[in-house]
Amino acid sequence: MARWKDGRESRAARFEEPDYAALLDSVRGIRWPARSAVRGGIPGAHTSRMRGSSAEFTEYRPYRQGDDLRRIDWKLFARSDRAYIRLSNDRAILPTTIVLDASASMAFPLPSLGKWSLAAQAAIGLAAVARNSADPVGLVIARASEIVQIPPRTRQSVINEMVRAISETNPSGDHPITPAIDAAARMSGRIVLITDFLGDSEDLLASASRAVVAGKEIHALHVLAPEEIDPPRETVLVSDPERTDIRRPLTPEARDSYLAAFSAWRERTAHDWSESGVLYSVAIVGDEAPDHLVRRIAAPRGVAATA
Amino acid sequence: MMFLAPGFFFASLVVAAAVVALHFIVTRQPRAGVLPTARFVPNLPANATARATRPSDLLLMLLRVLVVLAAGAALAKPIVKPSRSAEARVILMDVSRSVSDSSALRDSVRGLYRNHDAVVMFDSSARVVAGNAVDSIRTAGFTRVRGNLSAALVAAMRAGSSLRDRADSIELVIVSPFAAEELDEATDSVRSLWKGRARLVNVRGSADSLRGSTALEITTTANDPLQITALKSRDLPGATGMIVRSGLVDPANASDRALIQWPAAERPRFAVERSVRDTIGGVIAGDALVVAAFERRWSYPEDSIRGSEVVARWIDGQPAALETATATGCVRSVAVPVAPVGDLVIRRDFVRFVAALAGDCASRTAMRTADAQAVARLAGSGGLASRDAFRPRGDIRSDLAPWLLGIAIAAAIAELFVRRRKTADATALKEGNVPEKRAA
Repeated sequence: MARWKDGRESRAARFEEPDYAALLDSVRGIRWPARSAVRGGIPGAHTSRMRGSSAEFTEYRPYRQGDDLRRIDWKLFARSDRAYIRLSNDRAILPTTIVLDASASMAFPLPSLGKWSLAAQAAIGLAAVARNSADPVGLVIARASEIVQIPPRTRQSVINEMVRAISETNPSGDHPITPAIDAAARMSGRIVLITDFLGDSEDLLASASRAVVAGKEIHALHVLAPEEIDPPRETVLVSDPERTDIRRPLTPEARDSYLAAFSAWRERTAHDWSESGVLYSVAIVGDEAPDHLVRRIAAPRGVAATA
Repeated sequence: MMFLAPGFFFASLVVAAAVVALHFIVTRQPRAGVLPTARFVPNLPANATARATRPSDLLLMLLRVLVVLAAGAALAKPIVKPSRSAEARVILMDVSRSVSDSSALRDSVRGLYRNHDAVVMFDSSARVVAGNAVDSIRTAGFTRVRGNLSAALVAAMRAGSSLRDRADSIELVIVSPFAAEELDEATDSVRSLWKGRARLVNVRGSADSLRGSTALEITTTANDPLQITALKSRDLPGATGMIVRSGLVDPANASDRALIQWPAAERPRFAVERSVRDTIGGVIAGDALVVAAFERRWSYPEDSIRGSEVVARWIDGQPAALETATATGCVRSVAVPVAPVGDLVIRRDFVRFVAALAGDCASRTAMRTADAQAVARLAGSGGLASRDAFRPRGDIRSDLAPWLLGIAIAAAIAELFVRRRKTADATALKEGNVPEKRAA
């Protein structure tokens, strides 16, 4: 059973910055292929929906009037006396934006801030993996005072910028993160949403669904703390850090009701997000190493798995 | 140490245990903590009942337990159990008018008295001397009222009950001149309640100085009808006085007999004339009742009754004759008219009435010694009374009870102050946003 941390203890005194350098080392070499063919554009590592004349042959197509004569396979024409166009797949980049929830509920459990630490490491790790694939990566942090945006870039220093932005962020407040995902959807073809879904989850789901319909690849990483899944058995008057009006006694008798309600909510959330086409994953603090989490999320699935 | 009503103490033990148990069951606002998923916790009242491993308000609990136990012990009447000796005495000390030599009686009682014995002083009533009786014996005051051994024996039974825890056997000692007037018809039956013999210590009474009695005399005129009655009354026992029907009476002539001033027409001694004469249907003196119509002319004012003894009363309760003691005898004033006509003077009841009026003075009556058989019955036979012959007393006073009650009240007041201070502290803590609050 998880140990309960005293909420009044100084957070700054006990929170330790994750070792990003070790994480970046451990995720080096991991590739993160797109789940489906990406739109054409700047040549990159992902299969593009565009078919062009690259060296990677795909198929022949009979010549139609208007086709470029230079794409006719003359050798085949000589053998078969028929004109065919040689087709090949295009490769393109996939701009990726990490949307990080920096609400007060992510600053849990105190004082280690396990949820925030895991979310930050997942964000940096996934950004590094995307960057390894030569994709532009950006970051949107939905925090109380403002929405911090780092537009998707391919340059090497973008990871450092992201680390700095995350380090400067102190998760607090109960601001919505829907605007953050909307902003990310305008910039990127792949969005990674890292949150605990305890904020504006309905609006967030609607916004993510729209993005999926628009052809975006949306990843949702649900961050959970063990203390939330298995709260202490002693009687504690628990309060919601985002909603001060919620202050309830978690007694041994109320614990079963809590576990049932929380489990049902998790199942419903996973179902709803998966149904909407979002690639939903759960990350529990302390359950696995951050680089394993990154590998799990970046593992080829769908089209990429068969490419 | 023992309790007279142990049920109260056992009940207080149960209540005290309940108080302690309640102090381990506390209602408190539990420790506060942060949980982002608090919205999934059922919305219940913030106070929760919990079992504490040890009571936090130990002082309050101790005070409450002290209140309950002290009050219970006070109601249970704790007494210190005395050590039991082989024998104790109940000494009946006669302080009535029958005693002529009071110092001899005091010496006798003082010689008999041992520590923790019970002394009962009696005249017409009896009282048990509490505490150290030596001083009471030395300063005992002798009264001019008739002694009553029946009342003394009843008090002796009560004193015996108080001694039953201190001795295996209890001896009854009666120090008295044993005058006849001290015994009545209830004496034998009351004496039989004491299951053992009694030691009788006979001190010299007034009866020892009694001389022989003279016959009733009357000084009157020739045709006074009361002469006939006086003559008939001479035959009755006890009629020894001298009736004076006319002229002044010199108390010095009373000698050791009753001098009865019974004027035929003049105002009786101490009497005043009534504003309105009336007629009354009867008069009584001692056991002699006369039912006849008497015209009342005289009455005795309250001042005259003071210092005198009423020896005859009208049937409405007003005094009809008074007796005033003199140095050697007594003077009686009679305000009963004797009609010159009618058969009153020869009626048997009136004869007895006159004999009663002419009886010995009260002081002489007290001097007459009881007959030997009555005294022997008083002494009884057999051994000493066993402690089991006496019922345990229900009115034993507990000296500790008031102190325990005081302790209980003091503890209750202290509990009130401690509770108030604790409530104030809890309020301050709450305002200071300290989460835990004791609300037991």
